[in-house]
Amino acid sequence: MKNWKIVLISALLILSQILAACAPAAVPTEAAAPEPTTVPEQVEPTKAPEPTAVPEPVDITLWAQVTVTEAGAPPDDWVAYDIIRDELNINLTYVVVPTGDDGEAKLNAAAAANDLPDLLQAVSANNDNRGALKRLVDLGLVAPVEDLMPLMPERVKTHYNDPLLISLVTFDGHQYGFPEPPPLPKREGFVIRKDWLDKLSLEVPTTPEELLAVAKAFTEQDPDGNGKNDTYGIGGFINQQGLGNRFDFITGAYGVPGVWNFTDPANFGLNIRNDKYPEALAYFKSLVDAKVIDPDWPTLKRDDFRARWKQGLFGIMWEDFAALTNKSNYEPFDTNFPDAEWIPVPALKGPDGDSYYGVDTGRGQIFAISQKAVDDGKAEAIARLLEWMATDGYYLLGFGEEGKNFIIDESGNISTEGLDPVEAYTAPERQPFTQMRNQLIFYNSEQEINARYPSYETINGRTMEPMKFLQFFQSQPWVDGRGIQVILPPANAADFDRFYNEGMLQFVLGQKELNEETWAEYLAGLDALGAADYEAAAKQALIDAGLLK
Amino acid sequence: MLHTKTRDAVIFQIGLAILLTIILLAILIPFWRVIVTAFIPLDIYTREGIPFFLSPTKWTIEAFKQLLGHSLFPRAIWNSVIITLLGTAISLFLTVPLAYGLSTRNLPGRKLIMTLILFTYLFSPGLIPVYLLITGMKLTNNYLAIILPPAVSVYNTLVMMSFFEGLPEELKDAARIDGANELQVLWHIILPLSKPILLTIGLFYAVFFWNEFFTPILYLNETNLMPLPVLLRNILISASFNEYVEYDAFSSSSLESLKAAGVLITMIPMIMIYPWIQRYFTKGTLVGGVKE
Repeated sequence: MKNWKIVLISALLILSQILAACAPAAVPTEAAAPEPTTVPEQVEPTKAPEPTAVPEPVDITLWAQVTVTEAGAPPDDWVAYDIIRDELNINLTYVVVPTGDDGEAKLNAAAAANDLPDLLQAVSANNDNRGALKRLVDLGLVAPVEDLMPLMPERVKTHYNDPLLISLVTFDGHQYGFPEPPPLPKREGFVIRKDWLDKLSLEVPTTPEELLAVAKAFTEQDPDGNGKNDTYGIGGFINQQGLGNRFDFITGAYGVPGVWNFTDPANFGLNIRNDKYPEALAYFKSLVDAKVIDPDWPTLKRDDFRARWKQGLFGIMWEDFAALTNKSNYEPFDTNFPDAEWIPVPALKGPDGDSYYGVDTGRGQIFAISQKAVDDGKAEAIARLLEWMATDGYYLLGFGEEGKNFIIDESGNISTEGLDPVEAYTAPERQPFTQMRNQLIFYNSEQEINARYPSYETINGRTMEPMKFLQFFQSQPWVDGRGIQVILPPANAADFDRFYNEGMLQFVLGQKELNEETWAEYLAGLDALGAADYEAAAKQALIDAGLLK
Repeated sequence: MLHTKTRDAVIFQIGLAILLTIILLAILIPFWRVIVTAFIPLDIYTREGIPFFLSPTKWTIEAFKQLLGHSLFPRAIWNSVIITLLGTAISLFLTVPLAYGLSTRNLPGRKLIMTLILFTYLFSPGLIPVYLLITGMKLTNNYLAIILPPAVSVYNTLVMMSFFEGLPEELKDAARIDGANELQVLWHIILPLSKPILLTIGLFYAVFFWNEFFTPILYLNETNLMPLPVLLRNILISASFNEYVEYDAFSSSSLESLKAAGVLITMIPMIMIYPWIQRYFTKGTLVGGVKE
């Protein structure tokens, strides 16, 4: 009995200590935000001649996602906070918003509580950033920003120079958001194993028929020469609706890439209305029937897909250029197959001469200013901050301090040569200091891209140039599908998508015969779920946004 | 007749053993796979995928090194420990008197209080009112924002109340006759007899707070306040989006290995605690659930 009490009292004492320890832990966080009271001490020396002229610093809270989630936010003693305070008279508090559902929930909770930060990133779990902004606009929680654009001449020139993107954040004649440039558009592409082509004396396919022939050879003729029947021609997985955007290079050869028909504005609607769509599906089915495509493609996840090409399971695929060619991503494949080589392939030309590579949806980040911030008179300070991020603060927030974290070489390229590796902007230790780079800083200049995707030598001494892949992919005939961002899903999106996706899979997997009658039934089924209304609403949304005449 | 009965019993026992073996395997095989995945080297993973058996000489702790070696890891684990200990202590501190009070049959308004408590169990106020309350109390960036809202679990209170109700009334009466007030009864008589339920409910609370993930994201804006599950999630997200991380500074393990290692790391503390309180745990849940 006594022991029991002693244990309990001891536990309470320990817990009381922890409770006491807990409180100071929270104190630095409050101190973390630059305290207005400390500012005069830091500002005064620089403004010594006219101390009374120094206006009160403006507190600005920024909610944004980060570039490298695991690295966390910049520390409290980040030099940028001091510079922003000294040069812009702004106390910046940078709060990291999580990705996915959690980020959206955090933003929605703050919105519902009318507790939005001053400057915020419109985040959406399903990548519908415009939809997220629209909801805030409808609630009257974010303010129009067109009057701030003239206050940011350089930023407008580098970041907000695309009228289409501006129109995406414009509602009822007012611009409510700052549309950041999409992170490297058209970055995915169609690639093939050149070493397999060479071994089997095959040419790069240029038509769907040739693709089938090459895929068949890759499947049946042991292209890796290991004596086993363990390869497939094509690998892939479903990403997004229908067969997903990763097979757009196939439907593109039939003139029907993606869900929507952006290639023919006069006949805008769902691509499935086009007679060529069943043709494209019939071709896809021929790939499935010939067993030249990795049979797990309907259920495969992205990471499994990536593990498989690194295991040499297939020789034709659609992949993100950086996921394929970045040193860290390519290294496992290089180790397994040092003599292998992926090369980019141009868009296939279909039976009617159609040749589309894919659909560029160009989704970028959108930032907005809360109405509360405007009411508090912070709008001008926010514009000042954003302009600084695109001018004097650009290198600091994108790469760090020049001479310490990066240098600019004679060719004008960003480099880390001669720098302490731990201090180099590419080091893991430096990632917290450049967390804003993909959200608010970078705008896809050549200097940036060269710095972000450097060339390197493979194990067998070949030079891998990620930029070459990107440039090749971007040079292909993409469909401008950026208008998709204004199309809102139908009210019965779950039912509609299920029917749309499952029906298409049934056709290509042979679970349902693909003929005129069954295709008409499929379309009728979609119409019963409101496909025509969905199309009409989508068309109207594009017209309203000025994206369709 | 007796022979048939014995044979039936043996068949039943064998059937039971087979069934339990299947259930055991259904638990062990995925767990084993998680262990193998956590220790698989990147080159084997990228070459062969995840084998069922992996030669012990090829096991690597790279994924653990990557997770445990993260600069934010010590802080995150400390945060998790504080949230778990403090949360469990506060929860028990509030749950025990509530459960004891409700177990007193002649408590005035007992039915009404029970109804009100059950009402909160059946109808959750939802995220927004709680968010408004927490921000209104200025608890943002404070561990109490994570700890206070779930501090009293209705389910745990009912289990504990049921346990208290099962204790002999004569013991309490004897103490009261000796002049003890209700607090003294609780402190001197009830609590020493309630180790099983205290440890059981304590474990429930501890596991809950240890795994707490969403509310820290909602209410803690500072990186150095984030608990372990949030850090692990962030690392996994980074690894899964590594094509967008331009620099080759990350991910010396496969994403699957990192996930599996993350699962094991978060499991270890609870696995370590469980054997110590297992006997109380079984007793606590059974006694709490059965009334005479």
